[in-house]
Amino acid sequence: MHTGIHGELLKIEHLSFSYEKGQQVLNDVNFMAHDKESIGIIGANGIGKSTLMKLLVGLYLNYDGVLEVAGHQVNKKNLNHIREHIGYVFQDSEAQLFLSTIEDDVAFGPRNYGLSEEEVEKRVTEALEKVHILELRKKQTYKLSGGEKKLAAIATILAMEPDIIIMDEPSIALDPRNRKNLITILNEISSLKLITSHDLDFIMDTCERTVLLDEGRIIADGATKEILSDRELLEGHGLELPLRLQ
Amino acid sequence: MHMADALVAPAVAGTMYVLSASAAGVSVNQVKKEDDPKKIPVMGVMGAFVFATQMLNFTIPGTGSSGHLCGGMMLSAVLGPFAGFLTMIGVLLVQCLLFADGGLLALGCNIWNMAFYGCFVGALLIWKPIMKKGATKAKIALASILGCVLTLQLGAFSVTIETLLSGVTELPFSVFLASMQPIHLAIGFVEGLITTAVLIFVYEARPELLWGIGGTNEGRVTDKEGKLSLKNTVIAIAVAAAICGGIVSLFASAFPDGLEWSMEQVAGTTELEAEGGAYDAAAGIQETTSLLPDYAFKNSESAAGTSFSGIVGSLVVVGVMVGASYAFKFFKKKDGSASAA
Amino acid sequence: MNRLHPLGKLLVCVFYIVTVASFHKYALSQLILMAVYPVFGFIVGELSLKEGLYRMRLILPLVVFVGIFNPFLDRNVLQYSFGIPITGGMVSMVTLMLKGFYSVLAAYILIATTSIDEICYALRLIHVPRVMVIVIMLIYRYFGLMGNEANRIATAYKLRAPSQNGIHYKAWGTLVGQWLLRSIDRAEMVYESMLLRGFKGDYVIPRRKVKPVSMIYPIAWILIFIVIRSGLINIF
Repeated sequence: MHTGIHGELLKIEHLSFSYEKGQQVLNDVNFMAHDKESIGIIGANGIGKSTLMKLLVGLYLNYDGVLEVAGHQVNKKNLNHIREHIGYVFQDSEAQLFLSTIEDDVAFGPRNYGLSEEEVEKRVTEALEKVHILELRKKQTYKLSGGEKKLAAIATILAMEPDIIIMDEPSIALDPRNRKNLITILNEISSLKLITSHDLDFIMDTCERTVLLDEGRIIADGATKEILSDRELLEGHGLELPLRLQ
Repeated sequence: MHMADALVAPAVAGTMYVLSASAAGVSVNQVKKEDDPKKIPVMGVMGAFVFATQMLNFTIPGTGSSGHLCGGMMLSAVLGPFAGFLTMIGVLLVQCLLFADGGLLALGCNIWNMAFYGCFVGALLIWKPIMKKGATKAKIALASILGCVLTLQLGAFSVTIETLLSGVTELPFSVFLASMQPIHLAIGFVEGLITTAVLIFVYEARPELLWGIGGTNEGRVTDKEGKLSLKNTVIAIAVAAAICGGIVSLFASAFPDGLEWSMEQVAGTTELEAEGGAYDAAAGIQETTSLLPDYAFKNSESAAGTSFSGIVGSLVVVGVMVGASYAFKFFKKKDGSASAA
Repeated sequence: MNRLHPLGKLLVCVFYIVTVASFHKYALSQLILMAVYPVFGFIVGELSLKEGLYRMRLILPLVVFVGIFNPFLDRNVLQYSFGIPITGGMVSMVTLMLKGFYSVLAAYILIATTSIDEICYALRLIHVPRVMVIVIMLIYRYFGLMGNEANRIATAYKLRAPSQNGIHYKAWGTLVGQWLLRSIDRAEMVYESMLLRGFKGDYVIPRRKVKPVSMIYPIAWILIFIVIRSGLINIF
C-alpha cells in the first residue's frame, strides 16, 4: 500500500494521553517521521513506549493533540485506512500468530483486505522470502522455534506491504545468531521502521535515528551514534551505554 | 462423562444433534447481536484454557484422588451463557477429533449433556439469579458448587437416558442410574470447589471480568457484612451433598447385590422403562426386526446375523480388503515414483 | 488420501459412524464386514494401528461399563456353536465393543489425513456459523500453547512441593486464577493483532477446487456402507 507520500508519514504534535484521570502516560510529545527512516525508540520500563506505539495504530483513541498517520488523522472513522498503512509486530509472537500454519497466518491480513487469491499468494511468497523462511510456509505455527516465530510474525506484517512498521522489542528472547539474522533482515526492509527496545546494541545496528523517552516526554531525538554514546544522558534516564561502547 | 459413538443409536444422536444445534443457533444469534468482535479471540483462548486445565491434577484434601475444573460453569461465568456454550462446543469438537474423547456421532449428545446444562442451566438459572444483587465470595461459592453439582447431575442423567434409549445395554434403568448419579455428585462437588477457588481469585483481582454481576458498588457486600460466609456456605453445601449422596447410595444398596437382584427380577422385562414417542421413533428407525428382546430368536432367522458361517464369510471379505489395500498402496507408490522420476 | 477434499472425507467418516451405530445389537457378521473401511484407511493412509488403539482409552471405561453386564443380563441362547451356547448378551457385548472400536478408528483416519484447518473449511461448506469455526481454529491453535503452560506450572509447583501428588487446595485459586488472567490478557493481544491486520469479525477462507476423485471417493464408500447395512451381500 505504498502511497508515494514523501513528506511526513507520521506527524505527532502536542500529544498527551492518560489511561485514567490523573495518571498521565504521555505528555506533550512532538515527533515527525519520514519515509524510509529507521527510528529506535528507547527508554526504561513503563515510560510509555508501548502506549505511544499503540496510539499510532489506533488501539486507543482518547488522546489529546495531533496524531496523523500517512496524512490521516487517527480517529475511529479513519481506522481502516490507517491500518492499511501501518503494521505492528507484537513483542509476543504467540499473540500474533493465531492460525495453525504459517502461510495461512501470513495470508490473513491480505485476505481481510479483499485481495484476489493470486495476489494473496504473491504477497505470502514475497513476505516469507524477505524474512528467509519460505521453506517453512506449510509448517504448523506451534512447531516453530522462537526465532522462526519472530520472523513469521514479521512476515505477517510485511505481507500487508505497510508504509510504516512498528516493532515492539523485536530482539527479545532471541539467541545471538537469530538476533544477527534479524538485524540483516530488518536492514533490508525499506519502509519506515519504528523499533522499541532495551537492547541498545540492536538499536545501533538497525536505526539511524533514536528517540529517548522518559516520564511520557521526549528527552532527546537525534542521530543514534550521538545519543547512544552519551553516557550521562542514558544513565540519567535509567539506561546504560550499549555494551560495545562500554 | 463423554459419551462414545458406540453408545448411541443414530436416532438418539440425531435428536440430540437437532436440540444442540438449535441451542447453538440461538447462541450464535445472541453473540452476533452483542456484536463484540473482541469476544471471539477470548472465546478461543478461554476454550484452550479450559482444555489445558484438564492437564493439571488437583489433590482433594483427605482423599487420594484428584479432580478437574468444571468447564461449563467457568466459561459462562466469564463469557456469559451464549459465548460460553459456543466455546464449549468448540472444546468438545476438538476433544473428540484430537483425543477421541467422545465421538462425532455422539457430539450432539455430549454438547447437550455438558455444554447445554453447564452453560444455560448453570449460567442463566443459577449464576445469574444468585449474582443479581452483586457478588460476594460466598455467593460465588454457592453458585459454582450448586451449578457444577446440578449440571453434572443433569448431564449424568442424560447419559443414562440416551444410552438406554439407544438400546445398547441390558442394564436396567435403576441400576444404571444408581451408579451414574452418586459418582457424578462427588465429581460435581469437587469441580465446584475448584471452580469456586478460581472464580474467587478472578473476582478479587479483576471483578469486571465476571459475567452477569448485577448491582453497583453497594451490591458488593464484604463477606463479613453478608448473610453468608464463604466457609459456612461451603460447609453447608458439603453437608447437603453428603446427605443426598447418602440417601442415593442407601437406596442403591437397599438391594445388597443390585445386579444379582436385577438379573433375576428385571432381565427380560425391563430392558427399558422408557416408553412412548422418542423411544418408538428410535426403535422404528433402528431396525425393522423387533428391538425389544422378546427372546423368540432361538434358531430363528434373526439369529442368522451371528451364524458361524456368516462370521467366517465376513472375516474372509475383510481379509480380501487387507490384501486389496496393500495392493492399492503398492500401485499408488509405484505410480508416484514413476511420475516423480 | 491427504489430498482428497476434506468435505468428502468428513462425509465418509460421519456416514460410516452413523452406519456402524445403526446396526442391530446382534448383527455381528455385518459389523465385522464394516471393518473394510478402517482396514483400507489404515493401510492406504499408512497410519499406526497402535496409535489408533491407544486413542480408545478415554471412551473405554464407559463403553465397558455399559456393555460388560450384557452377557449376565441377556442370557437367551441364540444358537449353539460346537455345543457352546451363544447368548444374546455375549453377542451384543461384542458388537458394542466393535462399534466403539470402529468409530474411534474412523475418526482417527479423518484427523490423521485431514488438518483441522481443512476440517474447518469443510464445516464452513456445510454452513456451520463462522463464529463457531473461528473459535474452533483458535482453540486448536492455543491449546498447545496452554498445554505447555500447564506443564510449566505443574513442574514449577512440583519442584517446590516435591512430596505432593497434585496441587494442594490452598493453591487452586491463585495458581489457576493467575493463569486465567494471563490467558485473558493474551486473548486481548491476539484480538489487537487480528484487528491491526484488517479483522472485522469475519474470517475469509480461500476456496478449494474439487477434483473428480474427491467426488468419487465419498460416493463409492457411502454406497458400500449402504450395501453392507442393507444386508444385500449377507449371502452367508
